[in-house]
Amino acid sequence: MRWWVAVALIEELIREAEKSVDEVEVFYIEGVSVSADLKRKKVNLATTSEDRGLGIRTIHKGRIGASSTNNPVQWRECLQAAVASGKLATPQTWEGLPAPVSLSDSPLSFDPSLKCEPAIARDLVGQMLDGAAEHSADVTGGSASLSVSSVTLANSHGVRYVDHHTGVSLSLEAIYQQSTGYEFDHSGFLDGVDPYKVGERATFFARESDGGQDIPTGSYTVLLSPLAYAELLGTVFVPALNGRSVHSGRSRLASSLGEQITDMGITMYDDPLIPRANGSVYWDAEGTPTRRIDFVSEGVLRTFAYDLKTAYRYGKTSTGSAVRGGFGGLPAIGHHNFIVDGKRDALTDERVIYVHNVVGAHTANPMSGEFSVEISNAFWMENGDLQTPIRSAMFSGNVFDLHKKIAGLSRETRAIGSFILPSIKINDQRIIGK
Amino acid sequence: MAEVHYYDLRHVTGQVTHIDIDNGVVESAGTSFFNKAVLRVLNRAGWGVIQIDNYTPATGKKFDELLLVAQKLADITEEPVVLGEVPHGVLPVPPMKEDPRDVSIEEKSLLLAEVENAALHPTVVNRRANYIERIEQVRFTDSSANEYSYEICRSGFNVLAVASRNGNVQMGYERDHSIHGFDLRHRQESGKKAAEIAVALLDAGAVKGGVMHAVLDPELAGVFAHEAVGHASEGDLIQEGNSVLNGRIGEKIGSENLTIVDDPGVHEFGFDPVDAEGTAVSRTGIIRKGIINAFLHSRESLAAIGNGVAGHARAMPGEPPLVRMSNTFIENGDATEAEIFAECKNGIFLKGSRGGQVDPGRGIFQFNAEYGYLVENGECTRMVRDVSLSGDILTTLHGISLCGNDRKMSPGYCGKGGQSVPVSDGAPHILLLNAVVGGSGVD
Repeated sequence: MRWWVAVALIEELIREAEKSVDEVEVFYIEGVSVSADLKRKKVNLATTSEDRGLGIRTIHKGRIGASSTNNPVQWRECLQAAVASGKLATPQTWEGLPAPVSLSDSPLSFDPSLKCEPAIARDLVGQMLDGAAEHSADVTGGSASLSVSSVTLANSHGVRYVDHHTGVSLSLEAIYQQSTGYEFDHSGFLDGVDPYKVGERATFFARESDGGQDIPTGSYTVLLSPLAYAELLGTVFVPALNGRSVHSGRSRLASSLGEQITDMGITMYDDPLIPRANGSVYWDAEGTPTRRIDFVSEGVLRTFAYDLKTAYRYGKTSTGSAVRGGFGGLPAIGHHNFIVDGKRDALTDERVIYVHNVVGAHTANPMSGEFSVEISNAFWMENGDLQTPIRSAMFSGNVFDLHKKIAGLSRETRAIGSFILPSIKINDQRIIGK
Repeated sequence: MAEVHYYDLRHVTGQVTHIDIDNGVVESAGTSFFNKAVLRVLNRAGWGVIQIDNYTPATGKKFDELLLVAQKLADITEEPVVLGEVPHGVLPVPPMKEDPRDVSIEEKSLLLAEVENAALHPTVVNRRANYIERIEQVRFTDSSANEYSYEICRSGFNVLAVASRNGNVQMGYERDHSIHGFDLRHRQESGKKAAEIAVALLDAGAVKGGVMHAVLDPELAGVFAHEAVGHASEGDLIQEGNSVLNGRIGEKIGSENLTIVDDPGVHEFGFDPVDAEGTAVSRTGIIRKGIINAFLHSRESLAAIGNGVAGHARAMPGEPPLVRMSNTFIENGDATEAEIFAECKNGIFLKGSRGGQVDPGRGIFQFNAEYGYLVENGECTRMVRDVSLSGDILTTLHGISLCGNDRKMSPGYCGKGGQSVPVSDGAPHILLLNAVVGGSGVD
């Protein structure tokens, strides 16, 4: 479907919906992508896709309905399904969808030079393989993909927002004997990724983790890479900042506002307006203008995240935190660019256990915060140098509690999905040897 | 147009109905629709794949244009793909006892509310129940004139109860999913059980990690089979050199009494009437009496490495197929539950699963139990929470010293390559000697 056809359809849909419901919101996405996948060192599969999807949300007397379809021409059936679904929902306090405000229309995460061409994906794969050749490990698989998409949000109060996104993402897997390495990179900008380094790091970790030694069970100072930290933070800590979880009794942080919940040096915030960052956007998935949200300042919990539905229900204000995973379903509370910050240091003096990745973070208990995961590509580290690899061990603890034992943040940060994180050093963590 | 050696097209249309009830409030309920197809083409080298949203079946010139796009895409591939010869055919989908489409969404909503309500308890601060029903119409065609179509409906529910006391927050979670039709009637027991577990966990202790004997219940032992053996036996991983089982056919990696099977043809939640590339499905004995016997395959991985049968390619609608498990299980042994506990004597009994993960190349896996009990002198004593197990594929399976005779399958979903597909895992009770147990408890 052509862009202007979609726009005309949205206008017609809104007019039609207004006949039967108080308010309507239309979310329309359109995108193309291309990718090249490796099997060992050769491209084995090339894929292209063209996606479009229409999500409709209706609100009538406090009852919220929704439906979606990937055939926008069938919007009438979809609208009917949304209205029908609203009739089943329990009514709630509702004070209206946002009215339009003047927002910049120059996208924050869009690279006009990024084209979805197979040859570009092929070239990125080639650069990763060049990097991978730096160390003597075998490449087992990998992928480079490019995407261009646009998102339109419209509602019956006159909101007509359009945003454009581009994305490039890379990954490479390698093995040496029985030691594996994995690396990835992603950005909204073609020059924001380093394919050579992705390849080099993947084979580096595979090669250098070989010959690992066992470690006795005990208490250690652990340095979690941004990747390992993101796994734990995303499974447990961030969901506990979700206003809906808080008010419905599913957050351990529910009664901790104003209390110290992390080391005093730690600040955690969502900044949706960072130019070039992956999650940057001027308006959230409901059309609320986004702004910085300071969740934790100097260790003290300051606020939770809200969308409109949760805010209206509990007498709060939306923090512009509504996100959508795609065009289907209802908007939910999430974040845009979640950042952990504080005083930065070299973190290289004492002997620590460096953990590059973990296996099984999704099995952590999201309520209590307790976890026990297997560590991957772990090393003894001293003076900033990776020394002896550690063969295999479990890392057990509590994601909430470990934030009170943070002993330092690295100078460098890294974007992992919608997180921007340093490495963190944590004292007194339990490692279970084998 | 250059010659097309092979193509296949898998077109899936359908609808998803869901209901979400949170603390008595119907948060959302309704139906959405989808229509997706994936066209794969092989000519000179590798795959050219187009994912098509909202596909209208095309013929003649229109279809040739699609083939051309896919062929051009395949120009960037280098590795020649060979497809193994396979049997074709489709199994009948078992009839449903009650078709969910015959039940109004209002009635479904009331029935789900009963389950959610059953989790009411003074210490439970949150109850949440979800119903999900997914109906797919699948049509497959390929360049050899194989054509299959079937319709399958998967429906089920889950219920979560969260208990809280003095800052201690614990959860109980129960679920059931089925291909046999509507299964939401008279299920209050699930809500009640979720609440009881959440409340009981408030008084459970943390385990002090270390090496100990472990009894695994059928659900957790099924996840163990899935993580420890299933993934590493997937032919695409073997082909990439990313599995420790690579080159080990005929090698003994487990005890005599261990047999692990994957069978897409049995009528459990992972049932596949025909695989995603049109191959007739059949049973694969991955491990037989402790010896690696066969791998799971697609046509491509079968031709590349052999040892096993194809019919294990699976895909989400609109996505290219990957080699996947379906219904994976440890076969029954002859031990009774009482014998297993007596033999364990002192250790830990682990129940339920919060999932797991494996690094198949490294051969290291991790999986997590919902809760458990210490075993002292063959008896279950104190309840424990948040227990993980980790292990090494090539050594841990030798520790399975007893398999019970009470195999039970549990439905779930498995993720790989960004795709999630329905599976079931199962096993009898098993005894695992010298398991590496992780927990946050300290002396």
